[in-house]
Amino acid sequence: MLELKLVNFKNYEDLRVSFSPQLNCFVGMNGMGKTNLLEAIYYLCMTKSNFGTNDRQMVRQGADFFRIEGNFAEQDKVVAKVIPGKQKKFERNDVAYDRLLEHIGEIPVVMIVPDDTQLVSEGSEERRRFIDNTLSQLETGYLKMLMTYNKVLKQRNAALKGMGKSGYYDDQLIQAYNGQLLAPADFIYQARKKFIAEFLPVFQRFYRVISNDAEQVAGVYVSKLENDSLENLLRENEQKDRILQRTTAGIHRDDLKFIIGGNPLRKFGSQGQLKSFVLALKLAQFEFLKQQKEKKPLLLLDDIFDKLDRYRVAQLIGLLLDQDFGQIFITDTHENRLEKIVEQYATNYRKFTVENGKII
Amino acid sequence: MNFSSTLIEEAVMAFTALPGIGKKTALRLVLHLIDQPGQTSEQFSEAIVKMRRNIKHCSICHNVSDAEICAICTSPKRNSQIVCIVETIRDVMAIEATGQFNGVYHVLGGVISPIEGVGPDDLNIESLEKRVHDKKVKEVIMAISPTIEGDTTIFYISKKIKDSGVNISTIARGISFGGELEYADELTLGRSIATRLPYQDTDK
Ligand SMILES: [Zn+2]
Repeated sequence: MLELKLVNFKNYEDLRVSFSPQLNCFVGMNGMGKTNLLEAIYYLCMTKSNFGTNDRQMVRQGADFFRIEGNFAEQDKVVAKVIPGKQKKFERNDVAYDRLLEHIGEIPVVMIVPDDTQLVSEGSEERRRFIDNTLSQLETGYLKMLMTYNKVLKQRNAALKGMGKSGYYDDQLIQAYNGQLLAPADFIYQARKKFIAEFLPVFQRFYRVISNDAEQVAGVYVSKLENDSLENLLRENEQKDRILQRTTAGIHRDDLKFIIGGNPLRKFGSQGQLKSFVLALKLAQFEFLKQQKEKKPLLLLDDIFDKLDRYRVAQLIGLLLDQDFGQIFITDTHENRLEKIVEQYATNYRKFTVENGKII
Repeated sequence: MNFSSTLIEEAVMAFTALPGIGKKTALRLVLHLIDQPGQTSEQFSEAIVKMRRNIKHCSICHNVSDAEICAICTSPKRNSQIVCIVETIRDVMAIEATGQFNGVYHVLGGVISPIEGVGPDDLNIESLEKRVHDKKVKEVIMAISPTIEGDTTIFYISKKIKDSGVNISTIARGISFGGELEYADELTLGRSIATRLPYQDTDK
């Protein structure tokens, strides 16, 4: 990415900034808008926020739209024009996409944030999101199937709720939804299973490098579809679904169980291990996307010192630049801490001091 | 906007209640009517009042109609053994504009979408079942938009009526309707009705 232009995005009224092709550091105090820059880049690649923030909250206070423009090469421009509630348009070289999902994966991206530890500490939804995020960037077909599945599921759940209220169970309608879920569920299951098998060795390699840890780590894909077809599962759970008024079996309940030294990570991992684990997951996601797409994703590292101490940050940056991770964007709260480390490794880096929605 | 006249203001408000008409357009329309003879406004409002008072829904197909039964259902030239199922009245108009369809219609009034509070009971599905079972319907063509909700509706209806032995077909869904049938150009729509495909029930 050569250049980023923001209008009314979060606390940026009007910003234009050019980047180094290798390493870019945004430094400044908390609340000044460092992370917003990473978020803008992420948004431009994924058509939504990494944090689940809705579009309305991304508009600068007092404005009614925002615009993000990124120049990725001399002749490659992506523009997002968003008027929350009214319009959301993405253009590539002045041609608007018919559907936003066509853009996802065009410019692969991996964002690493302190919140990532939720991948390990929270429920299965976060881990499905991680898998889906990776696969969506690899294959538009996956995202389409996932969206279809989720929409049918939502309708099915709404129907179950309505039937619970009225007391009339319309079996034929449920059958209609079951029929619509089968093909997407199977597609998603197969894709996730294949992904995890291929991803695991990449992840294990990164964990070894980052943790200096001899512990064996693994991830196990857990899905009810492993042993039974969704058709059977839906039939078996019919009574349960009726009572609970929601769909209790399906790929929306899949999980990825993390293991360390033969034990569940969630229970047995130390705080340090969790952080290394999550970081390795994200870097492996980067490597995996790079291999599959034959294109280096943008790497966005938010508040990296949250995860690692000084020594480890140095080690990580060494690793990133050594292995040629492409273009990297890092934020830090300390003016000089990052620069001192970066100076040792990077041949081409730029530092930006961020203050109140401006780069000074 | 300050109109300096309550009469004008009320007329503008009346126009802005219509979809797609903002205050500026409404004012232009009102000023135009003022420039015209009084008769123009009278004819205009009479036509609307008369239409609204007398318009009915056909008791057979639920299309709009001047009489109890619509002109399509009563026409001896139409083949009542072929029924085309559509979502809205506008779809009927779009298909009629192609001049390619000689059968009759059944207007559902939407598609099944529990999220929006539309269940099968809210649509004209029961009357369709009756119609197919009672009358001698040979073929049912589903001209429903290719969305998830459209698929659900087709699937649901086909389950309900297939026992009667009726042939069920769908119009070619590979073609883009631009999301909705009413936007399809006449030629494409006409062709897709002519080349309709037998409906494949996925879980036979
Ligand atoms: Zn009729």
